[in-house]
Amino acid sequence: MSTFSTPEFRRRAFLAGLGALSTSALVTACGGTTASTGAGSTTPVDGGNITFLIQGYDTGWVSSKTSISSYEGNLWGQITDKLVYVNEKGELSPWVAESWEELNGAKDFVIHLKSGVTFSDGTPVDAAAVVANLNAWAKGDSTRGVSKVGLFPSSNFVSAEATDATTVKVSFSSPALGFIATLAYHGCILLSPKTLALPVEAQADLSQEIGSGPFVVKSWKQGDSYVLEKRKDYNWGPAALGHTGPARLDTITYKVIKDTSVRTSTVVSGQADVAFNVEPQEIESLKAQGFTVGTPRYLGFVDGFQVNTQAFPTNDIAVRQAIQHGIDRDEILKTVYTSDWNAATTFIQGNVPEAGEFSDSFKFDADKANKILDDAGWTKGADDYRSKDGKTLEFTLTPNPYVPSTKAEDELIAQQLKKVGIKVNLKVVDVAGYAAVQASKPPLFQTSRSFVDVGTVAGVLTSQNKGEDWFGLGTSDQKLNDLSTAIATASDRASREKVADELQQYVLEQGYFIPLNQLVQRLYLISPKIKDVQYNGLAYANFYTAWISQ
Amino acid sequence: MTSDYKRFALTRAGQAVVVVLLAYVLTFLVISVLPGDAITNTLRDPQHGLSEEDIQRIVAFYGLDQPVIVQLLLSLGRFLTGELGFSLQSNLPVSRIVGDALPSTLTLATSALVIAVVFAVVIAYGAQYLPGKWAAIVRSIPSFFLSVPNFVIGLVLIEFFAFRLHSFTTTDPNSPVATLFAAITLAIPVSAPLAEVLIASLDHESRQEYALVARSRGLTEATLFAKHLVKPSALPSVAMVALIVGELLGGSVITETIFGRDGIGTVVQKAVTGEDQPVLQAVVSLSAVVFVAVNLVADLASPLLDPRVKLREKVAA
Repeated sequence: MSTFSTPEFRRRAFLAGLGALSTSALVTACGGTTASTGAGSTTPVDGGNITFLIQGYDTGWVSSKTSISSYEGNLWGQITDKLVYVNEKGELSPWVAESWEELNGAKDFVIHLKSGVTFSDGTPVDAAAVVANLNAWAKGDSTRGVSKVGLFPSSNFVSAEATDATTVKVSFSSPALGFIATLAYHGCILLSPKTLALPVEAQADLSQEIGSGPFVVKSWKQGDSYVLEKRKDYNWGPAALGHTGPARLDTITYKVIKDTSVRTSTVVSGQADVAFNVEPQEIESLKAQGFTVGTPRYLGFVDGFQVNTQAFPTNDIAVRQAIQHGIDRDEILKTVYTSDWNAATTFIQGNVPEAGEFSDSFKFDADKANKILDDAGWTKGADDYRSKDGKTLEFTLTPNPYVPSTKAEDELIAQQLKKVGIKVNLKVVDVAGYAAVQASKPPLFQTSRSFVDVGTVAGVLTSQNKGEDWFGLGTSDQKLNDLSTAIATASDRASREKVADELQQYVLEQGYFIPLNQLVQRLYLISPKIKDVQYNGLAYANFYTAWISQ
Repeated sequence: MTSDYKRFALTRAGQAVVVVLLAYVLTFLVISVLPGDAITNTLRDPQHGLSEEDIQRIVAFYGLDQPVIVQLLLSLGRFLTGELGFSLQSNLPVSRIVGDALPSTLTLATSALVIAVVFAVVIAYGAQYLPGKWAAIVRSIPSFFLSVPNFVIGLVLIEFFAFRLHSFTTTDPNSPVATLFAAITLAIPVSAPLAEVLIASLDHESRQEYALVARSRGLTEATLFAKHLVKPSALPSVAMVALIVGELLGGSVITETIFGRDGIGTVVQKAVTGEDQPVLQAVVSLSAVVFVAVNLVADLASPLLDPRVKLREKVAA
């Protein structure tokens, strides 16, 4: 027999083969550098490229249909401008609109445009272009599959006309106090009239999206990577950002990595600079390692539930109030979130100027909740759940799939409400399933909605003026009708603020809306060497002012 | 023989067309049963703040308000004229979406297949020729490979090779090295059934009389393996490979997700969650075509590997 067949040799040959395989893997494994992060300098420098990791841009680039409020909005914000800028405090300031006048009791507006602003194809952002955009936002064009902008005050919009090259006059049939604020909303991005006129299939091509923003699309591959480069002639950024001229960064590359842990580790290992959405539980340790974690709040409604007053068991005000006081929001903040999250003080976010302090009307008080239910005749059975007229006090909660961590929140709420005898069932669905849940008008529906102007609130409370009728009241609650009309038709901000106060108090006391906490829908993990990232009132990171510290 | 082959091939091709059409129609029906539709689900995001009426107008533009049977016939008509339509999610042509994702998937699947075959052969060889204790360990590798979840393998490889050794960057998933590790991730579970089949065939063949004769005439085990055992043992494995191709196409979604690759698996995943009928129908039909074609090739190759295999039609005749 030859030596080849001795068991010892065969084993060694086999293992040597395996060894060779793994060695070659290690040899290939060489190379790659570690970026050093000196974070000393504070003087901005121009140049450099950053990589931004995101879980996907699935809804595409048709501007009227894109998820401009979530993932896609990150990219839209770099390639387009708006007429008005809104900062994190909800304060409005000029952008492409240099100034504006509110006339005739907020029924007419005159917008004066900056001159010299151009789209990236060289055509001017003039009055005619702005009128084309205003009409698209207000009306859309359903024959071409173009949707309107949801929060635009369309119902009383009359017309927009160019009075000269840099002046636009906009008219409404009734006061539209929220109009100017809406121009700062993420849906109202300025696009070239040529882009707006394209059929939706052509608009789907990102390189056809011609905006006037500080960056332009250099190349893109759907589902993979999107490279933006700066416009060297850009010189019309919002004054509020404290920077003039072109952006400091040369390029931003948006790279799709679906897995959250891989996105986080990639930034931590220095292979990328920014990652969108990290797990809240990881924030503390990431900060300890020197990373910045941006948790901007948007202007809008807080994370919470709109309550259907027509469905069992929330058709009983006692049940609504018991839920209102039976939820321990501090425990949710401590358990699910970090100190970056803020408690709710009302049902609108704290950075909305009209947000009031009404924490007392939904303060956690299990005894009070129990007493309310006792008094209303809901008696506890052997299983500790309450019932009345043979019906168990129970409902089903579906966590809002658009907001991370709502599942953990709702699990905790189920435990908390059990203590006051309310049985909460959980049903977890994806985005597609959530639309069906909404259509079924459940007792409690977890919502997330941003807005720039408090006037938007009037559009959801009742069914007046094609309102969304969040609480299923129709027009049956006269006080709510009056308050909501007063907000919608107010022509001065001071009187509107007073009404807004009264409205918040009433909605919370009636248990129409059950707030949880101030919503953070977007989280940014940022490398320590990236400086001066700013956030607008819609909680989007803006990279116009960002720079890389050497 | 040639006319048999022709008839055999034609029958198989006919079956293939039926399979593809059924796949197309079934995909459509499955999606129609799900709640909502692609357009409504996108526009109902509370952030859009659109009213039900606003949404319905856009849904009507896409023809999604028509009865399911009308939509099916329209879509079938398009398909039969070679028109794949546009994605309901991104409005891009379906052919472009699939075309963009295909090269990445083909690269990954091909590399994974090669690696899986190498793994399987090495394992089978080890199981055959290592001494008792070692062979037993090697024989348990396939079950081990099957029981470790794909994403664990992927994350461990990324953590070690990308983040610690910096041998590749996760931001450039299509680089050769990143592709290699993605392929290894995908190959590990795929190699397991292949190795098991190969081990079983080798066990069988090495007990045959001709193997005994060869050994008695002084052939080394290595020569015996390479010259006499591999070919007959390969037969069941080739059939297995045909089945595996399906797994490589459809099962790659986890690997793609973890390594940040955009491929067919990801396209399918997005199309399912977004209820993007046209995209899903196209991909499922494409997979059906590939699956049927690969199996056809495997069937036609069998008689060449082993003359004992006859065409069923011929036996029946």
